[in-house]
Amino acid sequence: MATLLEVKGLETQFFTQDGVVHAVNGISYTLDEGETLAIVGESGCGKSVGVMSLIRLIPIPPGKVVAGEVWFDGKDLLKLSDDEIRQVRGNRIAMIFQDPMTSLNPVLTIGKQLTEAMQLHLGMDKEQARKRAVELLELVGIPGADKRLDEYPHQFSGGMRQRVMIAMGLSCNPQLLIADEPTTALDVTIQAQIVDLVKELKEKIGMAIIWITHDLGVVAGIAERVIVMYAGLIVEEAEVHDLYGKPLHPYTLGLLKSMPRLDLGKDAKLIPIEGLPPDLVDFPEGCPFAARCKYRVDRCFTENPPIEYVTPTHRVACWRWEAVHEELKANGGSHD
Amino acid sequence: MLQFIVRRILWAIPVLLAVTFFTFALVRAIPGGPFDFAGDRSLPPSVVANLEAKYHLSDPLWQQFCSYLIGDTVCRPGDDSGRASKGVLLGDLGPSFRYRGRTVNDIIATALPISFQLGMMAMMLGIGIGIPFGVLAALKHNTWIDYSATLVAILGVSVSNVVLGPVLIWFFALKLGWFPVATWAAEPLFSGIADKYIAASEQIPMWVNIIPKPTVDFFMHAALPVFALGTALSATIARMTRGSLLQVIREDYIRTARSKGLRERAVVVRHALKNSLIPVVTILGPMFAGVLTGTFVIELIFAIPGLGRHFVNSIGNRDYPVVLGTTLLYGVAIVIANMLVDITYAWLDPRVRLE
Ligand SMILES: Nc1ncnc2c1ncn2[C@@H]1O[C@H](COP(=O)(O)OP(=O)(O)O)[C@@H](O)[C@H]1O
Ligand SMILES: [Mg+2]
Repeated sequence: MATLLEVKGLETQFFTQDGVVHAVNGISYTLDEGETLAIVGESGCGKSVGVMSLIRLIPIPPGKVVAGEVWFDGKDLLKLSDDEIRQVRGNRIAMIFQDPMTSLNPVLTIGKQLTEAMQLHLGMDKEQARKRAVELLELVGIPGADKRLDEYPHQFSGGMRQRVMIAMGLSCNPQLLIADEPTTALDVTIQAQIVDLVKELKEKIGMAIIWITHDLGVVAGIAERVIVMYAGLIVEEAEVHDLYGKPLHPYTLGLLKSMPRLDLGKDAKLIPIEGLPPDLVDFPEGCPFAARCKYRVDRCFTENPPIEYVTPTHRVACWRWEAVHEELKANGGSHD
Repeated sequence: MLQFIVRRILWAIPVLLAVTFFTFALVRAIPGGPFDFAGDRSLPPSVVANLEAKYHLSDPLWQQFCSYLIGDTVCRPGDDSGRASKGVLLGDLGPSFRYRGRTVNDIIATALPISFQLGMMAMMLGIGIGIPFGVLAALKHNTWIDYSATLVAILGVSVSNVVLGPVLIWFFALKLGWFPVATWAAEPLFSGIADKYIAASEQIPMWVNIIPKPTVDFFMHAALPVFALGTALSATIARMTRGSLLQVIREDYIRTARSKGLRERAVVVRHALKNSLIPVVTILGPMFAGVLTGTFVIELIFAIPGLGRHFVNSIGNRDYPVVLGTTLLYGVAIVIANMLVDITYAWLDPRVRLE
């Protein structure tokens, strides 16, 4: 598969009154056409800022992408003019957001919000756009589409609004759909419906997806590859089954242990990761996870481990990944 | 919608009754009476007693209130003075104590149209300048445009009309001679109708006076006071608009709009403006009511015979019916303004239903 997106050394900071917030600290990854990549990590680790930087949706000021390259379709998105990046947004790369309650404009009809990108990017007139909007709503499973176009967001339930957001994201046939925690604000049954819907749409349409979540449980069903972020850094990247089966970073291990699992039954203990992520203003010198890590050694406090490939598809940023690996093997591969 | 308006009006009735009652009680609680002085001289007690008897001020208070409210024919049967009031409920605000021979209705019918014209033009100017400048300041947040707009707005709010008015007169009227120094020059647009009333030496009804003939003279006279009042209003409106828009621009749905690739102008005009006007409309309501019923300072400085001075002077004069009449008028204006605010809300925000 051809590479669709290549992110190199992306760094984004916020210049606030309390100091410089190091939100994203040099992340690199690639994404193939039609591939689904998940980005996981605790809240505040830079997932949203990381992807919003790609299409330059970071509020400037206080934010600024201070370094890096984002190659998409032969161009570095960070170097495009404002006009050129607007041609990409909503058109080639679309984004859906966490909270469908607040992400739709309360004073405009669904129809208006749904058609405006198509009128802008596809040069459709009102009528054509409306016709396609009906198709899109049907596609995302909203019945009575023609009538519902004239309704306002408050007349839709949370799950329905997220379906509208998805329809909006897909309206211009993007090559990449970025979904930033699209199910976090929804209740569990609706979450599953939305995940299924996106999987189904992906089969039909074939766009690439970056799916952000802080819930590793959602990832298995949808992604082929997973990136684990911590304190604005990628600490581990692997194919989904490798990440679950052979996690190499103590943080990934912690995430897996803190995740509820059906196969272990209700009584299985959830072990949350102790401690808090580091202050992104006063960034620690060594490994940012060291203070919370069971496997740490002295070196972890002085040198931040670079991310390195362990196998051609699995990379990790940890001085002690071998210890993690050995321990898991000794336990028969189970991390519970 | 109609149901909403009817319900609102029904609600307003007890409110206005309470306003009437308390104003009636309060104004009579102020020491002194309407006939203590004639000009600078105090009147002999016998004359005062006569006058008070003539206006029924020696009657028990409940009876005075009763006849103010529902008229002399009901509460003071047998009054054959020929000046029997029909009562506030039928729209009769009674005679003025100070302006002999004039009723409060006459005073309002003459003065309100002038205040209304001044206030309306000032509001239009205030909104016309205030909202665009507020939007501009918000869009150019933290640039010199924002800072200078904010500075002008702060000046506009804090430099009172007491200062601005005379400065305008001194410079544009006296020094440059571009505008007349003071007074108002409105002729009724329907002068034919007005003439008929004048010929019959009757009070011209208010509605005839309210719409002015758009003559050069009218606008030349209006220019300075409208400018002074309008800029003061626009300063407040601009500050509100700026603050509100800066709030809205941080909302999630604005990020969604940007993520579609819309131009910043479309984002602001289509997605942010309507939302940001919702709180602005809230202050426009009472502002409207206040300005349309007369502004004391501006009318005083520019010698405009509007209603503003009656609000203030009537209290000093203990002209009870005028105090009550102007207060009630203001109450009605507030009720109407709030109704308009709610209707505007419903138009701006589909979540608001008029029920
Ligand atoms: N507008 C902003 N101003 C200052 N700091 C910000 C801003 N937006 C995000 N941040 C900071 O950037 C870091 C990463 O945030 P984010 O990417 O939203 O985390 P998440 O992984 O939960 O999506 C957080 O520490 C957050 O406080
Ligand atoms: Mg986030």
